[in-house]
Amino acid sequence: MKTLIIDSYYIAWRELKKYFRQKTRLIMTVVQPFIWLVLMGNMMSGLTSNPYAAQMLGTGNYLTFMTPGIILMTVLFSSIFSGMSIIWDRRIGYLDKLLAAPIRRGAIPFGKMFSAMVQGGIQVIIIIIIATFLGVKFKTGLAGILVILFIAMCFALILGGISLAVAVKIKTPETLMAIVNFFMMPLLFTSNALFPLGVMPGWLKAIAKVNPITYAVEPMRTLAVTGWSTSIFTGIGIILVIDVLVLLWTQWVFKRAVSE
Amino acid sequence: MDKAIVIEGLKKTYSNGTEAVKGVSLAVDYGEVFGFLGPNGAGKSTTIKAAIGLLKPTSGKVYLDSFDIEKYPYEARISKGYASQETSVDDTLTAYENIYLQGKFFHLAPKEIDKRAKEALQMFGLWDRKNDLVESFSGGMRKRLDIASALIHEPKILFLDEPTLGLDIQTRHAIWDYIINLQKNLGITIFLTTHYLEEADKLCDRIAIIDQGEIKAMDKPGILKSNIGGDIITLTFETKKEKTNSFINLIGKMNNIKSANMLKNNVCRIVVEKNGDQIIPIIFSLAQQKDISIGSVRLKRPTLDDVYLNYTGKTIREAESTKEETKKERLMMRRMRKK
Repeated sequence: MKTLIIDSYYIAWRELKKYFRQKTRLIMTVVQPFIWLVLMGNMMSGLTSNPYAAQMLGTGNYLTFMTPGIILMTVLFSSIFSGMSIIWDRRIGYLDKLLAAPIRRGAIPFGKMFSAMVQGGIQVIIIIIIATFLGVKFKTGLAGILVILFIAMCFALILGGISLAVAVKIKTPETLMAIVNFFMMPLLFTSNALFPLGVMPGWLKAIAKVNPITYAVEPMRTLAVTGWSTSIFTGIGIILVIDVLVLLWTQWVFKRAVSE
Repeated sequence: MDKAIVIEGLKKTYSNGTEAVKGVSLAVDYGEVFGFLGPNGAGKSTTIKAAIGLLKPTSGKVYLDSFDIEKYPYEARISKGYASQETSVDDTLTAYENIYLQGKFFHLAPKEIDKRAKEALQMFGLWDRKNDLVESFSGGMRKRLDIASALIHEPKILFLDEPTLGLDIQTRHAIWDYIINLQKNLGITIFLTTHYLEEADKLCDRIAIIDQGEIKAMDKPGILKSNIGGDIITLTFETKKEKTNSFINLIGKMNNIKSANMLKNNVCRIVVEKNGDQIIPIIFSLAQQKDISIGSVRLKRPTLDDVYLNYTGKTIREAESTKEETKKERLMMRRMRKK
């Protein structure tokens, strides 16, 4: 177990070094959520002047309602491409180099997933700072923010794992991008990330209720808008269960793929 | 089992039915440089990958430093270093970070990594560039770094898959010097694959010629060359073919001549047991007597290409071009089917 953790740490260390060295990627990490918050915040701010809409959203500030959605969306957009690293590693022969070393094979997906989780966490912190500057007040304060961060990072782990499990069987980055793009937008728009469940038609609500994004957004929104509530444990519990399942699945898929 | 590498009856059949390796067996002594020579697609990389545990063989056994790689994968992995043909260094890291990570993957202590990284980078002339990002390195420097990082855990055996593939001739020679140095000064057993005849000839104590997944011949390069004969004399006639045939038969019956064959374009290939230079004047005087005109004459010692030709029926260049042509044909067929 100790070896697995140490090996995973150095796999993640490499990924994070690369992340911090790619300046454009770092800048986009800040710029993208900023644009979303400013654009969407301004575009939709008129919505809350309608008392019915404000009641549906649970707040008079649309930006506060939307920040958990933006957090999830940003984490989704970045973590879902984690699999790209394994495709490149295979192409440049680095994956063979890792597999030829005496590291625990499971450390390769673990480390990459951990790196996706940390990268997601960094992005969430940046979004929260920007949102605070734009006037968003988190009802549960710093403690609530930390729980939001925890949920978002757990969600990044799920997406990173799924992306890696898919990528391990794929030979080109283009194929992964096509698969990811096919699922990403429908996943986002069939969740409560941008609109509350209450305003959705019945069929969409039914889909949203089985969409894992909904279960990540729900507790985050409760913490940002409503305050502390025991209802957050349902969402957190579901996300943690999915985390464990994805971890096991990714391990299984990876080990099977590399032992052929 | 006092051998660095033992491969017994290794077979690898891919899921699509391709038999990449059809029962390879060999043993490599400690401190030996062993070469696997063959064209692209002959089964070299598959053999090396199966030998180091990257591919699961369909059948057969591999022992590295006496460890069965299936039963003792950890010990077997520790005993060897590996540099793949893709030059697997990370462009976004510095030279030192690349080698440091490799040390960490072999579970070395930081102090040990520092010491060995310095030695390895100095040995490969990269110490001054240790803090530079690899993206600024030339192809030769990357390859040197790749081999240096494969040595960080001081392995007994080093597997090099096409170590000079795609490098210019000058850089190739420099890499050869490093490989010779590794064997002479550190006593490392080296198993390398190559499709460069000159490389196999220059570096290897022994070579195995592999074609279509099978070993066709295995011995010291000198012995392989001498097995196919001594010198080779190539004559180009200016006289018509009908007249030269009887002349060639006559040469074939002379003492010291192993074979005399007519090739294409009025060219004759004569294999002499020894002292080819002394035979040439005799052939010329005989030609004068028979009123045969010889346009040119060439004497050469047998090369590994001749060995390859002898065992596979084609030169290594022909084997490579045949594969390229097959690929092109398949591509054309696919395009035509789409139309």
